[in-house]
Amino acid sequence: MMFPALDPLLHSELRLAVISLLMSVDEADFTYIKEQTGATSGNLSVQLDKLTAAGYIAVEKGFKGKMPRTTCRITPAGTEAFRDYVKALKKYISTKK
Amino acid sequence: MEEKANLTAERSLKIITEQIERSRNVVAKDTGQLLYLSGLATMGTAVIVALVNGLSASPMGQLLWLVLPFIIWGIKRIHEKKQVQAPVSLVGTLVVRTWWSFGCIVIGFYLFALIWNILVLRLYDNLTTATQAMVTITPVIILLMGMAVAITGHILKRRWLVLFGILGGLLVAICEYSGVISAIIVYSCASVKTIIVLNLITPCLSIFLFSLIGLVIPGWMLKKQNP
Repeated sequence: MMFPALDPLLHSELRLAVISLLMSVDEADFTYIKEQTGATSGNLSVQLDKLTAAGYIAVEKGFKGKMPRTTCRITPAGTEAFRDYVKALKKYISTKK
Repeated sequence: MEEKANLTAERSLKIITEQIERSRNVVAKDTGQLLYLSGLATMGTAVIVALVNGLSASPMGQLLWLVLPFIIWGIKRIHEKKQVQAPVSLVGTLVVRTWWSFGCIVIGFYLFALIWNILVLRLYDNLTTATQAMVTITPVIILLMGMAVAITGHILKRRWLVLFGILGGLLVAICEYSGVISAIIVYSCASVKTIIVLNLITPCLSIFLFSLIGLVIPGWMLKKQNP
C-alpha cells in the first residue's frame, strides 16, 4: 500500500535505514553504516550526499591515525524530519487499523 | 540494501525497528566482550591474591586488587584498538557510566576500608573487638558488582542478565556475609594455621565465583547472542 504524504527524502529503504541508525548514535563512520545497512559503498555515498544536501546529516572527513575516516551525524533538521516521518507513519497505521 | 521508494508503512516501521535493535546489539556485543575479559582478569587476580595470601599467611596480597583497574583499563584500550568499536550511543554511554560509577565507588570504598581496618587493628588491643569493628569488604563489592550487572541488563534489555546480576550478587554475598564458607572451613579443618590461611583465601574464592557467574558467563552469552 502506498502513502505519498511522507517526506520523499526519507521514504526510501537505504536513506531511512541510515537516518534510523544515526538517530540512535552520536555519530557513526562510513564503514560502520555500510556494515549495518548492508549497502554498497557507491550506493551509500550517493544516498549520504542526498541527505547532506537536504541538511539532514553532517558529514565530516578526517583521519583516524593514518587511515581516512568519514564520520556522519544527524543534524537538528534531520531529527525533526525523522520525528515528523514517524508521526505521519503512526497516523497512517492507526488510520489503517 | 536496494534503493526502493515504494515503501509500505509496515516496511518503513520494520526498517526503523531493525536499525534501532541493530544498534543495541552492537553495544551488547561490545559490552559482552568487555564483561568477559574483565571477568577473566578479575578471576586471574583472585587466584594470584589467594596464592600470595596463602603462601605468605598474611592479607598482604589484598593490595594486588589495586592493580586490577589498571589491568581492565589496559584490556579496554587493546580492545578498542583491535575491534571496530561500537559508535557512541545513549545505550553505550549509560553502560559505560554505570561501570564507571561502580569503579569509583569500589575503589573509594576499598581504600577507606583498607585504611579503617589498619587503624582499627592498631587502636584496639583486643583482637576480637578489633575484628568486630573492621569493615567487611568482599560482600559489599560483590553486591555492588551484582547491581552493576543488573543495571547493564536493564539498559541492554536482557532480562537474563538482570537475573544473573541480582541472583549471583545476592547468593555469593549472602554466603560470604553469613559466614557459610568460613563455617565449612572451621568445621573441616583441625589446624588453626590452616583455618587462618583458608580464611585469607575465601574472599578471593567468592570474588572468583561471582566473576564467573556475573561477568564471564553473561559476557560470553552476550558475545554469542550478537555475532
